[in-house]
Amino acid sequence: MFYREAGQFKVSYAADQAIFPIRQDQIGMAMILAVAYVVMPVAGSEYWLETIMIPFLVFSLAAIGLNILTGYAGQLSLGTGAFMACGAFAAYKLTTAFPDLNIIVALLLSGVAAAAVGIVFGLPSLRIKGFYLAVATLAAQFFLIWLFAKVPWFTNYSASGVISAPPRAVVGELYVTGVHATPQARYLFCLTLVAVLALLAKNMVRSSIGRQWMAIRDMDIAAEIIGIRPLRTKLSAFAISSFYCGVAGALWAFFYTGTVEPGAFDINRSFQILYMIIIGGLGSILGAFLGAGFIVLLPIVLSRLPLMLGLPISTATISHIEVMVFGTLIVFFLIVEPHGLARLWRIFKEKLRLWPFPY
Amino acid sequence: MAALDQAETPDADTREIGDVLLRVDRISLYFGGVRALNNISFEVREHEILAIIGPNGAGKSSMLNVINGFYHPQEGTITYRGKTRSRMRPYQAAAQGIARTFQNIALFKGMSTLDNIMTGRLLKMHQPFWMQALYWGPAQREEIEHRKFCEEIIDFLEIQHIRKTPVGRLPYGLQKRVELGRALAAQPTLLLLDEPMAGMNVEEKEDMCRFILDINEEFGTTIALIEHDMGVVMDISDRVVVLDYGRKLADGPPDSVRSDPAVVSAYLGVGHD
Amino acid sequence: MEGFLSDIFIAPFVSMWEYPVFLVEVLVGGLLVGVMYSLVALGFVLIFKASGVFNFAQGAMVLFAALFFAGFLEAGMPVWLALGASAVVMVALAIVTERVVLRPLVNQPPIVLFMATIGLTFFLDGFGQMIWGSDIKVIDIGIPKEPLEIHGVLINSFDIVAGVTAGLLVAGLALFFHYTKIGRALRAVADDHQAALSVGIPLQSIWVIVWSVAGLVALVAGIMWGSSLGVQFSLALVALKALPVLILGGFTSIPGAIVGGLIIGASEKIGEVYWGPALGGAIEDWHAYMIAMVFLLFRPQGLFGEKIIERV
Repeated sequence: MFYREAGQFKVSYAADQAIFPIRQDQIGMAMILAVAYVVMPVAGSEYWLETIMIPFLVFSLAAIGLNILTGYAGQLSLGTGAFMACGAFAAYKLTTAFPDLNIIVALLLSGVAAAAVGIVFGLPSLRIKGFYLAVATLAAQFFLIWLFAKVPWFTNYSASGVISAPPRAVVGELYVTGVHATPQARYLFCLTLVAVLALLAKNMVRSSIGRQWMAIRDMDIAAEIIGIRPLRTKLSAFAISSFYCGVAGALWAFFYTGTVEPGAFDINRSFQILYMIIIGGLGSILGAFLGAGFIVLLPIVLSRLPLMLGLPISTATISHIEVMVFGTLIVFFLIVEPHGLARLWRIFKEKLRLWPFPY
Repeated sequence: MAALDQAETPDADTREIGDVLLRVDRISLYFGGVRALNNISFEVREHEILAIIGPNGAGKSSMLNVINGFYHPQEGTITYRGKTRSRMRPYQAAAQGIARTFQNIALFKGMSTLDNIMTGRLLKMHQPFWMQALYWGPAQREEIEHRKFCEEIIDFLEIQHIRKTPVGRLPYGLQKRVELGRALAAQPTLLLLDEPMAGMNVEEKEDMCRFILDINEEFGTTIALIEHDMGVVMDISDRVVVLDYGRKLADGPPDSVRSDPAVVSAYLGVGHD
Repeated sequence: MEGFLSDIFIAPFVSMWEYPVFLVEVLVGGLLVGVMYSLVALGFVLIFKASGVFNFAQGAMVLFAALFFAGFLEAGMPVWLALGASAVVMVALAIVTERVVLRPLVNQPPIVLFMATIGLTFFLDGFGQMIWGSDIKVIDIGIPKEPLEIHGVLINSFDIVAGVTAGLLVAGLALFFHYTKIGRALRAVADDHQAALSVGIPLQSIWVIVWSVAGLVALVAGIMWGSSLGVQFSLALVALKALPVLILGGFTSIPGAIVGGLIIGASEKIGEVYWGPALGGAIEDWHAYMIAMVFLLFRPQGLFGEKIIERV
């Protein structure tokens, strides 16, 4: 009824290639941005902003990163946590070594640092594929986390190994990290950065570089025969993916937890991000957001559900049940829709176009 | 197809077989102890359609794989456009203007028809990735300019209605056509077709023959194809090379090959098509 | 810096030369840890061979089996009954897994099945601990733990039992795979699902069998690991070490799993004892993965894997 594209004619390729070619989608996106920028900071409580929205944004960014590598370029990685840690520690070293460096520049540079590490650990991808590569990325995961924990230079020789992120302002006195930063400021900063980076990612995946990634994913031999250089393409996916993960890691440490510690980026973090892209949808930028939202909200709902129902269950049991439900849901999702929430959303839209008629 | 004409062939309709484009000289290829190609030599001339025929396992596909750099022969040389090539990777062959299609369709299954063809165009796209990420100015212009080109190929192959369909969902005949489109997008000098008509019905074969002849005539693209359907081969090719058990049996115009006693004895009783 | 370089390049070898008995002890200890890795890797290889599924849940199955075994023992069952009951649990798990997870996902790409086994991992971790709690459990089934002295080298007798058990298990499986009808069917399924189906091999019951066997292997591994380390959540993490073992050995080779396990176990122990202190310790965390990764660069198909010939 209200979701029809009838009457909207595209007269140029530019219009046809737009991210949201249908007007209703453009309006929808504008509304989402309005809610995110206006309603959330005004109406959202500190709890909402700090424990739901900021981690949601950070996870979304990391999931975009992993989705570029795994969903688009088809290189399975279990080392996301390590690349996030690279970004977090790079940001810490940069901000402490150059106190005058703008936080935005510091964040982007830490992404670049993570990208460099990503390239190194992506080198084996030329010779090894699939699950073998996944295990090789575990080497990055365990080695890098060990490195950050063992080499005191990374923590500026702090005794405990846990360090807090220094306060930094975007401009003037507008602090976005550290104790002076209001949740609203931190949230809006993350939101803007994530929105911009997501847009750039979307642009990449619909351009030549994105098509090269997908070609390598779908059939690497044919890709090489039509002129794609496998190593360069795979490494570019590793680099850009690690850039996104690195920035996400830096955001995690500076804007979410406020502390930089290797333990936050262990193997479980890698898996968590992997679930996000599975549940959200491999090879979809929207899917990264949907998956991140799902994984952030699920434990909160699960932990509150027994309380709301008035069931007397111990917290230990709840955490076990949580893990169980989590596993079940993953299997369930894979069976129902291996392409994730993003595909479900598309099917829903296709149905909505015809609604109220069945076809 | 105005853009295509201008780009590649100013003398489109005056097709003339020209000089040697590719010379294969005494190529031998082994897999372990198996000799897949045995001392094969032949030439591909500019603007011609060369058919490579032979029974299954004769080494036809291996020959194409050698030409576009996927297999590296142990002996012999390949001279392309006057340059004898050393060991090379397939993407280098692509950069020199060699495109191909595959016997078992090798499309990018997760992508749409349009994206597949656009991917075939990638060697002509030069914007750096950060410009692509911004999708603005030159990057957007480049994307649209090549989209136009790909739309022309789509028109040429009559696949407008499926341009946004994921290729995995398409029927076999259309997939073959999309794959041809992807190879054409690179504006190749030499087009290698590995059984372009295998598994097709008569109508689809006719369409495909028409496309092949049009490509050859309008753009002057040199074509080397493998095909089992002898009727098709005799009709469309300028010259035929016959392989059997890795050896070359005959090489010449269709009529002389047809009456070659060696070819007849190799084919008689085999019952090909 | 000089001291550091000497600690890396000179001191370890000097120490090995000077105290050969200690080196042998470290080596033997490492090999026997390696046997444990092999046991986990073995279950994995079985499933990968027969169904092409990269079963990430093998480690969780080890923990799951150990939890049930320890739980049954605590409940007062005699060892043989606990063993039987846990075996029944593992077979039941195989049946349920086939029915609920594998069957609906048949013909999906390998990555989907892999991710499904990650889901299974979570389910098993949560389920096992929900039933039996997350406290550390002790398994004591009377395996002697006294050190034995052989030619001046101290070896834990428990390790010897573990080694012998693993050896028997492998020999049994190898015979099973090569000389029984089921074994032949398993290999056929591994080669090509559709071809196997078309000659009348019942795919689903084959999967149940192979997951059951993998479950039983996990049970043996769980009892062994549990007896030496106690049954606790970290077992599932130790089991991750089976992955580099697989890379070394190749995903489809039973002897590869064993040899790979031994190499990883031994090199890990030697690395930790001789190089660990200079590097800050706990290099066991990543050592195995690094070895595996470097190894892969030179031999992508593993020690015993079949050479991959790419075709178009």
